[in-house]
Amino acid sequence: MAVNTAKLNSGELSLKSVSLWQITMHRLLRRKSAMVGVFILGALIFIAFTAHWLAPYDPTKSMLDIKDYPSEYAKKRLDPCIHALGCPAEQPQHLLGLDGNIRDEFSRLLYGARLSLMVGFATVTFAIIIGTILGAVAGYFGGWIDNIIMRVMDVLLAFPSLLLAIAIVTVLGAGLINALLAIGIVSIPAYARVMRASVLSIREMDYVSATRALGGSNLQILFRRILPNALTPLIVQGTLGIASAILDAAALSFLGLGAQPPTPEWGAMLGAERNQVFTAPHLVFYPGLMIMLTVLCFNLIGDGLRDALDPRLAHVS
Amino acid sequence: MKKNLSVLFSLLVLASIVLAACGAPVTQAPVATEAATEAATEAATEAATEAPMAYEGLAVEAPNCDYGGEFKSIKAIDEHTVQFELCAPDPALPSKIAFSSFAIEPQEYLDSTGGAGDLLEHPIGTGPYKLETWDHGNQVIFTRYDGYWGEPAHAQTLVFKWSTEAAQRLLELQSGTVDGIDNVGPDDFATVEGDSNLQLITRPALNVMYIGFNNNPKIEGFDNATNPLANEKVRQAIAMGIDRQRIVDNFYPAGSEVADFFTPCAIPNGCVGEKWYGFDAAAAKALLAEAGYPDGFDTVLNYRDVARSYLPDPNIVAQDIQTQLKENLNINAKIEVMESTAFLDAAAAGQLAGIHLLGWGADYPDQTNFLDYHFGATASDQFGDKFEDITAALTKAAQLASDSDRKPYYETADNAIRTHVPVIPVAHGGSAVAFKASVTGAHSSPLGNEVFSVMDNGSDTFVWMQNGEPGSLFCADETDGESLRACEQVTQSLLGYKIGGTEVEPVLAESYEANDDLTVWTFHLREGVTFHDGSTFDANDVVASLSLQWDAANPNHKGRTGDFTYWNALFGAFLNAPK
Repeated sequence: MAVNTAKLNSGELSLKSVSLWQITMHRLLRRKSAMVGVFILGALIFIAFTAHWLAPYDPTKSMLDIKDYPSEYAKKRLDPCIHALGCPAEQPQHLLGLDGNIRDEFSRLLYGARLSLMVGFATVTFAIIIGTILGAVAGYFGGWIDNIIMRVMDVLLAFPSLLLAIAIVTVLGAGLINALLAIGIVSIPAYARVMRASVLSIREMDYVSATRALGGSNLQILFRRILPNALTPLIVQGTLGIASAILDAAALSFLGLGAQPPTPEWGAMLGAERNQVFTAPHLVFYPGLMIMLTVLCFNLIGDGLRDALDPRLAHVS
Repeated sequence: MKKNLSVLFSLLVLASIVLAACGAPVTQAPVATEAATEAATEAATEAATEAPMAYEGLAVEAPNCDYGGEFKSIKAIDEHTVQFELCAPDPALPSKIAFSSFAIEPQEYLDSTGGAGDLLEHPIGTGPYKLETWDHGNQVIFTRYDGYWGEPAHAQTLVFKWSTEAAQRLLELQSGTVDGIDNVGPDDFATVEGDSNLQLITRPALNVMYIGFNNNPKIEGFDNATNPLANEKVRQAIAMGIDRQRIVDNFYPAGSEVADFFTPCAIPNGCVGEKWYGFDAAAAKALLAEAGYPDGFDTVLNYRDVARSYLPDPNIVAQDIQTQLKENLNINAKIEVMESTAFLDAAAAGQLAGIHLLGWGADYPDQTNFLDYHFGATASDQFGDKFEDITAALTKAAQLASDSDRKPYYETADNAIRTHVPVIPVAHGGSAVAFKASVTGAHSSPLGNEVFSVMDNGSDTFVWMQNGEPGSLFCADETDGESLRACEQVTQSLLGYKIGGTEVEPVLAESYEANDDLTVWTFHLREGVTFHDGSTFDANDVVASLSLQWDAANPNHKGRTGDFTYWNALFGAFLNAPK
């Protein structure tokens, strides 16, 4: 979709095409809260891609297994040691200390970003693909197809999403892939409903009727005329969905149903050290903080995108 | 006249039938042999000649000792005397029979429940506390039994709560909502010791944490031909490739030690034979290659996320073992955490493939409690197929009275365990309980059976927080300490253990004696003892309670799982066991 604006320049009439995405980006950039989200997300993506360079230690390796590591400092749940803050030079530096299995907490935190972002994007991509197809088919064809698909979605929506995810993982077995699948499955109905609603309104548009009158097939109409014009609400829903997917994945891992040891996953790290909330609070605080920041950034971006894509709020920006 | 006479005769016959029916002895189901029936009849006849209201004692007897169990008969000689006849001498019998799995409940109650149902949740015992309510998932409430034969409990109400989280248990104690907690977290010892409002009481390390292997899992469709752990050399390689000292040094509290033998050294003959393998990663890798696995293999590491004195931090220890398997042997062990009761049931049924982490706390201070329970001829299928040299040595040792006579057999058994490696003994874990400083009578038990009736917090309600919820309160068919401790407040056995110790002392039996070859044991029961339902304790209750475990054909032989693991492990095969 493009908006044509006429501009008088040096006595000549020129046409400049400005896409909806350019307008959206322009509006988004003017929202400070969204920019904070974008900045945090950028930092997380940078950490995720460079974790193997940034992390000082192998996140799954105990200091006891590192050759030449001074054994007197290989103690479980050792406090953070930062040389710049006065930690003795002979003691190996650990910015966030060591965890219960004598692994470097900072390295595990960095690698955790990779996993959390992967979880968020993978589950939402899966849910959007399936949800979009189901919602589009239901909305376009209507009738009994619509009834069957949407009643199944209603059944899925009737359960609290985390509870349903736990039930699915219990059946499939604990593990990261099964957790992703479970979160993906419980996220499908939201996207299916949004897509169906969009398709229901767009299929009555003149340009769709025109295509139909010109002999366009159902597939052509659905995928070339309707879907491209129904994506806007999905993008907003998807951005917010990433946040809840990451939160659900962390919850499943906390419960021991998601990422399995020794994989560095924030929810699992939080769960493993939950008993140390008083004796080694930093081991609980930092993974929790990272989950909070990640969810916050996607929520901020999602809110910003929703406002930026909403034509009724155009005057606000 | 003739008609009247015949009517009178008929009435007399009818009356005699009714009287005979009312006076008929209440006997066990027909599980006893003819000899037993005859003996019982003779005893009853003899008694009947002495007094008109003769005591009808129950008797259960095996036809012979070929069935593979230890008991030959259990008889109620009179109202206050019970006699056990054994197939072979058992010097450890008093220690065994004192255990809470062999507690006595009223015969009538057992019969009315059919060995399951209400019996699992509403035990009726003779202890200082009786069960008030069990609010599942929340708490168990006991109230003082005013008819208790011994010293009455200090607190009117005893509450059992539970939390798997050491931090939560400590927080509850610090905030004053509970009076005592089990298994203080290894990192919290100093916190409790430094708090003047609390008292820390350490518990002797009378336990063992081990890495177990099942050499032939009983799982439908499981192909044992491809199971690397069925190979003895693989198990030996793992035994050499795990640095147990590192685990104890880093993840166990003070008072813990590396286990060089399966049984702790404090148990007589616990540490005889050759010490366990030393850590040697290179030799382990070479042995694994020799066994046909030079590149390692994939397996599963099962455990339950429940803190016990032998395994205070299961997740951490499991992950370290996972790391060591990978680093030292290139074995990829996928961690699988199971729910506690399901894990124990699967282990006992031999359904855990791969490696599992479990442990054992002493129930009574004898080798049979450690070795026979795990590796004896009638032990569960936890480690798969039995090893004949181990079972033969244990069977022989269990029949000898003196420690010195038993020693060579335990040496043989320990050496055979070292060779076959059904388990890797890792640690004897030190642990501690904590109480409010104001609690008097506070103690820890090396057997984990703390007695709360002697503790006084100065109020009417005493609250204890342990690690987990009981599986059931019918402890004849339970093995978990969380269940046993709750049962021990309500039910009692013929003998018991000294509070905070392991010495055997009289409880429901005032005294006992054995014949010279230790095959006939006679227990003289305490008089004037009543159950919580008001019924009087007598010898038939003892026969009914024990025979329901012993005799698989007994209609009450049900329980929660029907395994009756302790009986099976300590006294051998069940009578009338299904083929």
